[in-house]
This record gives sequence, C-alpha cells and structure tokens, in this order.
Amino acid sequence: MGETLKVIVLIDRILKSYRPLIAIPAAITVIALLLVVFNGLNESVDLKGGALAELTLEKSVTQAELESLLREKLGTGDIKVLSIRGERVTVQFGTDMDVVKVSEALRGTATINSYKAVGPVLSKQAMNQIYWAIGFAFLFMSVTVFIIFRDPVPSLAVILAAASDIIIAVGGMSLFGIPLSLASVGAILMLIGYSVDTDILLTTRVLKRRKGTINERALGAMKTGVTMSIAAIASMAALYLVTVFVMPEARVLSDIAAVLIIGLLADILTTWLMNLGILRWYLEVRS
Amino acid sequence: MNRKVSKFLKDYRVILLIVLVAASITAISTMGIQQGLDLQGGSLIQIQLERPVDAATMNTVTSVLDKRLNIFGVKDVKVRASGDQNVIVEIAGVQPDQVADIVGKPGKFEAKIGNETVLTGTDIVSVQPPIITGNEWEVPFRLSTDGARKFAEAARGKAGEPVKMYLDDRLITAPEISAEVATGKPVTDVRITGAENSKAEAEVQAKEIETLLKSGSLPVKVKIVGVSSVSPELGKQFAEGAVIAGLLAVLAIAVILIVRYRSPILVLPIFFTTLAELLLILGAAAVIRWNIDLAAIAGILAAIGTGVDDQIIITDEVLSGEGRRTRRKFRIKDAFFIIFASAGTLIAAMLPLAYIGFSRGATGIGLLAGFAFTTVLGVIIGVFITRPVYARFIETFNVAGRK
Repeated sequence: MGETLKVIVLIDRILKSYRPLIAIPAAITVIALLLVVFNGLNESVDLKGGALAELTLEKSVTQAELESLLREKLGTGDIKVLSIRGERVTVQFGTDMDVVKVSEALRGTATINSYKAVGPVLSKQAMNQIYWAIGFAFLFMSVTVFIIFRDPVPSLAVILAAASDIIIAVGGMSLFGIPLSLASVGAILMLIGYSVDTDILLTTRVLKRRKGTINERALGAMKTGVTMSIAAIASMAALYLVTVFVMPEARVLSDIAAVLIIGLLADILTTWLMNLGILRWYLEVRS
Repeated sequence: MNRKVSKFLKDYRVILLIVLVAASITAISTMGIQQGLDLQGGSLIQIQLERPVDAATMNTVTSVLDKRLNIFGVKDVKVRASGDQNVIVEIAGVQPDQVADIVGKPGKFEAKIGNETVLTGTDIVSVQPPIITGNEWEVPFRLSTDGARKFAEAARGKAGEPVKMYLDDRLITAPEISAEVATGKPVTDVRITGAENSKAEAEVQAKEIETLLKSGSLPVKVKIVGVSSVSPELGKQFAEGAVIAGLLAVLAIAVILIVRYRSPILVLPIFFTTLAELLLILGAAAVIRWNIDLAAIAGILAAIGTGVDDQIIITDEVLSGEGRRTRRKFRIKDAFFIIFASAGTLIAAMLPLAYIGFSRGATGIGLLAGFAFTTVLGVIIGVFITRPVYARFIETFNVAGRK
C-alpha cells in the first residue's frame, strides 16, 4: 500500500507541473514526423506493385543461388530473397511476375505456398483508396468526438492526441521498417478507434464528474485507462510473438500487432501527458 | 444469493444473451463457418477488363470464365464482378499457377466436322441471347463471311453428321448438321437448336451453348492484375496460429486483470463475456455466410479488445461507486456514456473502409473491408448485447465490490 501511495504522490507531483510535460509527446510526434519525412516508409507489394512468394524448398540452396537461378530463368534483375528460415523462403519480385512463369522457374527447386502479385493498376488504386480511407476515418472520428463533447477545446485535445498517436505509429513503422501495407493501414484505422477510447474516458471523467478534485478524477481515470492500454498491448504482444515465431507468413497479423503496440504505447503518453495537460490548462483558464 | 441469481437470470438482457448464444452455437454447428481463402487455401485472382462495360457484357465475361474453369475440373469456383471493370475469381484449394494459366489465356473454341477444324472462336462475330419455346431452344449466332464460307464447304452433303464443339480441347456438345446447312451455300446467320425434357432443362442447355460460343472471343480483353494465393497447408497453419494467438491474448489479459483487481473471480465474468462475444460474432458470420479470413480474425480481435476495455471501464466505475445502489446505477450510466462514445468513434473510423469494400468489391484496399465490417459487427454486438449483461452482473453480484 505504501508503494502505491508513493506512486500516487509522484504522479500527483508530475501532474502539478503539467505544462512542460505536454512537450514530451509533442516532441516525440515531431521526431516521428521527421523520421517519416527523411527516412521514408517502405511500401509493401500491395501498394507499390510487384509480387511476393512464400516458398518451401525441395532441396537446399543458398540465397545467392536461388536469386541467380530466378534471375536467369525469369530474365529480370529485380528479384530479392527476403528471408530463408529452414526450408521456408520469401522472395520479392519488382514486377507483377506471372505466377505460371515463377512456378516453372522453380520446378525441382521449390514449391509455392503462397503467391501474391499486384499490378501497377491495382497498386495505384489501392494507394488512392488508402488516403481516402484514412482521411475520412479521421474526419468521421473528429465529427463524432465533437458531437460527444460539444465543447471545442476538449474535443480538439482528443483529436490532437489521436493525430499524435497516428503520427508516432507511422514514425515507428519508418524506424522499424514495417512496410505501409493494407494490413498496417488497417492497424492505423484501428488505432484511431482505440486511442480515442482512453481520451474519451479521461475527458468524461474530468469534465462530467463532480466528486473530487480534478487531480483525483484524472488519477482515477488514469488507473482505468492504463489498465486498458496494458491489456490491449499485452494481447497484441501475444499476437505478435505467435505470428513472428510460429507463422512468419501471416505478416498481415504481425504487422497489425506491431503497429498497434507502438501506437498504444504512444497513446499512454499522449493521453496522460498531452490530452490531460491541455484539459487542465483549459479548466484553469476557464475558472 | 439465490434471489440475486434468479433476479439476474430474469433480466431481459440476460435472457436475450442466453438465447442468442444458444442460437449462435446452433448456427455455427449446423451451417458451419465459411473460411476465407487464406485459411482454407486457395487463390484469389483479380482481373481487369480493358474498359468499363455494361451489365450484360460483364455477365458474359463472368459466365465465360466460370464455364471455362468448370470445364477444367476446378471445383468451388466463384467468379464475380466487382464494379464495371473488374472481375474477381476465387478458387478453393487450387495451386495458383493452374488458375492463372486458365484465366490468363483466351478460351480456345473449335468446331470440327470429322477431324477437320471448320470454325474457331475468331469466326464467331456475335451470339444472340437464346430463344426458348416450350421444351425447345435455339441459340442464333453470326459467323464472319470467311467463317461462313469455310463452314459451308465442309458441311456440304453431310446432313445428319455431328459438328463436334470443343472448348479448350474438351468436347462439349455435338449438334447435327441440318439439311438446310448441308446445301453448301454460305450463311452468316446460323443457329444451333435442340429439345430437352423440360423448359428448365432447355434454358440450362441453351445458356451452356451460348456461353460456349462466346468463350472463344470475350467481348473485351481481360488482364490479370493481381494474384493472391495460399496453399491449403499454409492456410491450416494460419488458422491454428490464430487460435493459439487468441488463447495467449486471453491469457495475457487474464493475468493483467488478476494483478490489477486482485480478484480472480472477476476474471470469470470477463472471460465469459469475451467468449460470448466471440460466439455471437461467429454465429452472425455463419448466418450471413460471412467469410472468416485473416483480416476478419484481426477484426474479431479488435472488437473483443474493445470489449475488454469496456469491461474494465464498467468495473472501475462500479468500484468507485461506494456500494450504494443508486450510486452504482448512476456509475454504470456514466460507464456506458464512455462505452457508446468510444464505440461511436471506432465505427466512424471503420466506415470509410467498409464503404470502399462494398462499393468497389475486393479490389485494392477493399480486401480490408472484411476487417472493418467484422470490427463494426463485433463492436455493435458488444455494446448492445454482451457488455450490458456484464454491467448487470457486476451490479447484481457486486463481485468487484471489495469496498
């Protein structure tokens, strides 16, 4: 109990000097933004076009051997063996290779477990749709938040926190080389929904409750919110570990998990340092 | 305690949940859950037409592709239009290269008299819709002048002999040469006729012939723009991996909740609520024949994840409710304000993705529509059906009420 008290005192002290703390998530957001701008994002086959094949080797070959075999038989240089794990291999092609040709080229060397090819028409279409989907998702979310609170400053604080979460998550993708793909876009949309949860919890508790000081209400909300975030992060970590170690081919799921873990970690900072900070500032100015 | 149990069980929300869970279990066990291609293994091929076409042309394209895949003995083929320029072919359990081979090449139509090829797909200029009169059918079609001349020469004096029609080297039908055609005079407007036992059979047969004649020359050029396929073995691994991941996720959440609330009993209702949500989502999927694929599994995880979040919110609101009944009720109302607001924002964020999926079909990002739809479905089931029951449970039994 004594320890909990110490933590509460510590958090209490931190909360008292909330204004400089807003700078922490803000700085991380800026760093993430710079990372995206200068380091860029990888694009998956879904979005930039090309082909991805998961193979099972029938005989043992080295990465270099496999690459040169494919280059020779397919007559193109744009072939990259992404990983070899035992007999499982992932190969990426720069163009949307005809699967018939690939399977002929591999005859006797490997069989195809899964194959995905996306032509330039489709990839361009997907890219457009992604911008629309994310843009409208964010817009609809913002409108919903405004309808819920009907108060511009707290609503904007929630929306700002959500925007930071997304930017930090995308920055994390750039840092860890997680490609922008249909899966990671799904994760970003999921993050919009998830990250707003804790912000709504905080705003509702602080603005609508009458009992206790603002600090007490915020602390109560934090206890609930952090439990929520940790539960979500733990379940995503389970998903990530299983997909990475048991079925590396299910990249859809491991990408979603990784993006959500980064975003949810960011959400803890943006909610309790940035959103809460703005909210307290607002309440102080108002009274 | 007994009074509390019977009161809890008489609550209409509890009864509704019990009925729906039972219905879901029945639906899942009788109708089964349709697994997506990435779980059962199979291929999804996205085809783009040269230009946007009207509904009739699109219909020709899809029925021709369907026919050709069936001829090759490919079972479980689904060919559907996606918008006015794209066609999606889904095939279960087939290696991708086989399918791409069939779809990628134009169909080969040949008509032979004896051993001589007299017509090919390029000789057929157009095919009219079949005419059905009673049990009799006829499919009129037009030949090119060249084709008509070739055919007339070959058919001269051969009345009664069969014209063997092949699609991709497989014999489909062999109508007899009529006396009128055997005169040797070239005609461009010809027809194949026949009679069946019933009107329905005549319709089927006529449609088959129509498709056959059209298959050699699709009205528009088609191109494969995307292939995605998963072998059955890998699909099985995906399905198993998803189950393992789900179980581990539940376990991880349980540990965190036990640590947080120091009350192992509390984990049980949370576990049961989560299980009920899973069953209801899968039950709904079984009823509406919704495909469960990897994206849908991610959606289910997302929905259930918000469920756990909501249960934590409910529990904490009740915990801080100081035990007085009215107070607790008030708190639960507060909790549901947060819960509905969160659900509203999540659904709002998912709507654009679901819209793209339904309006554009499964091309491009539309593949993710399953994810968005499943999430929305799960969240709606959660906030209206399962989570209120959890709240009711906490309220009635005061499980969390250590204060």
